[in-house]
Amino acid sequence: MSEIIFELKDVWFSYLGKFSALCGVDLTIAKGQKICVIGANGSGKSTLLHILDGLIFVDYGSVKFLGKELKEKSFGDENFSKDFRRSVGLVFQNPDVQLFCPTVKEDILFGPLQLGIDKLEIESRFEKLVRFLDIRHLLDRSPHQLSVGEKRKVAVTSTLIMNPDVLILDEPTDGLDPLTTRHIIDLLLEENENGKTIITSTHDLHIVQEISDCVYVFSQEKKIISSGSPDKILEDTKLLQDNNLIHIHRHKHDQTTHIHPHQHLEHHS
Amino acid sequence: MKKNNFIERSISGAVSFLKESIFADEYASKNGFLQSLDPRIKTLTFLMFIMAILFTKSIAILLCLYAACLVLALFSKINIGFFLKRTWIFIPLFSLFIAIPALFSIFTPGQTILTINIIGAKLIITRQGLSSASLFVTRVVTSVSFAVLLNVTTRHFELLRVLRIFKVPQIFVMTLGMCYRYIYLFLEIVENTYLAIKSRVGSRLHYKKGQEIVAWNISSLWQRSYYLNEAVYNAMLSRGYSGEPVLLNDFKIKSKDWAWLFSITLFFVIIILGGKII
Ligand SMILES: Nc1ncnc2c1ncn2[C@@H]1O[C@H](COP(=O)(O)OP(=O)(O)O)[C@@H](O)[C@H]1O
Ligand SMILES: [Mg+2]
Repeated sequence: MSEIIFELKDVWFSYLGKFSALCGVDLTIAKGQKICVIGANGSGKSTLLHILDGLIFVDYGSVKFLGKELKEKSFGDENFSKDFRRSVGLVFQNPDVQLFCPTVKEDILFGPLQLGIDKLEIESRFEKLVRFLDIRHLLDRSPHQLSVGEKRKVAVTSTLIMNPDVLILDEPTDGLDPLTTRHIIDLLLEENENGKTIITSTHDLHIVQEISDCVYVFSQEKKIISSGSPDKILEDTKLLQDNNLIHIHRHKHDQTTHIHPHQHLEHHS
Repeated sequence: MKKNNFIERSISGAVSFLKESIFADEYASKNGFLQSLDPRIKTLTFLMFIMAILFTKSIAILLCLYAACLVLALFSKINIGFFLKRTWIFIPLFSLFIAIPALFSIFTPGQTILTINIIGAKLIITRQGLSSASLFVTRVVTSVSFAVLLNVTTRHFELLRVLRIFKVPQIFVMTLGMCYRYIYLFLEIVENTYLAIKSRVGSRLHYKKGQEIVAWNISSLWQRSYYLNEAVYNAMLSRGYSGEPVLLNDFKIKSKDWAWLFSITLFFVIIILGGKII
């Protein structure tokens, strides 16, 4: 039995007390797992990830991190706060939010500098990531002047450099070209092999198989409607269709019209 | 039709001009003399230059300083035409409003050189007025030139960092940085809106409609910036921010920097003492 990292029981959350975003979510995440959260836009994926990162706190229900209740109060304790930030890293859905320093280089170094990580250690991680993601030419540029794909690479780098045990990524491959997507997935798989826990949200079914060993499906009702192995979930066309993850695809071959579900697994031609 | 095109062209022209002149840092990355100095030392010596300019009462010294500024620009591989254009844009703003009244006798009494009659009102240009106005203009020209030179040869983010190192309050520097970011965002939005309008309706768009769209965009910009601030704060928290950010400091002072600092300080002291004695 491996160590439980996150344990959520009947979690409810609403923004400003009126826009409900999570309605009764139960979830358990063990160390070293690859978790994938899928669901249509607005189904509460980002909200869940922000709760896991200790940025917002539940209205009702409980969230435990390593067996300890995660509350706003807990972050008043500087040691706990530092430990938590060091062990859990989040790549935000919107890279414009995540990148706020004047240059890419400063942005990447922001996290480790705040956490007081050793200088030589920072430098070696920096070199490795910059080389791997091929972003050296961007270092002195201003993050907000980059393309979406470049921003996302920088955002991923700025979280990976903190070397967190739990890596949370909110739609990390959204807007990326196939090669960059590949790079990022490889990087995540490598991190996972080194014992890191990976939690991703996406609605790109292409990548689900690779980046998860357990999939949670969110419905429009903002709760988990199904969960299981990626094979089981991806086979369940009805479930995916009901939750806006695939759409019926209609096209013509010669004289007959075919209707079949379109899974985003192949590209249209 | 023609008018519309003209407006469109002049707006995108103005936007790209602003973007280029505020955000271009091609000169800051050239390997000229000023670019090679440590930004802290450079800022310090430029402050001394500007102080010297404000203290001195001699036009000759001012002209020498102006010449020195141009020579420095040359050594820093800056196109003089670009540099002059850049400085002379700002100069009228500063000088004309303040200097012109000083030309006339109402403000600076003295020996008459020229009398202008405007519908009964007599305007008399005096020698003292003329000389103090020209002293003033030279002073403005020279100090603006130095400020622009510092700005062109130093990256924007380095200047911000220097401010932090010189103990300018955090909140001020952050605000400045955010302003910079928003100006850019704003220019992008104006530019993109015009492109979007063009792609959707061609050029047959009534300018009134265009104005509405731009106005809507500006109001959504404010909303967005409010949301952005909260979200950015979360992003900072997520990466371990706790009150005072730890900043990167990879500036290095070389012997060249010390030599430069020493000679400029010497020069500064001479100017100040010289001014006192005369
Ligand atoms: N800052 C916010 N203020 C108000 N409502 C929000 C905010 N963020 C998200 N919501 C709402 O919460 C719900 C879940 O959103 P989110 O977690 O962002 O979904 P997803 O990431 O799956 O697209 C949506 O209905 C959305 O409208
Ligand atoms: Mg989301």
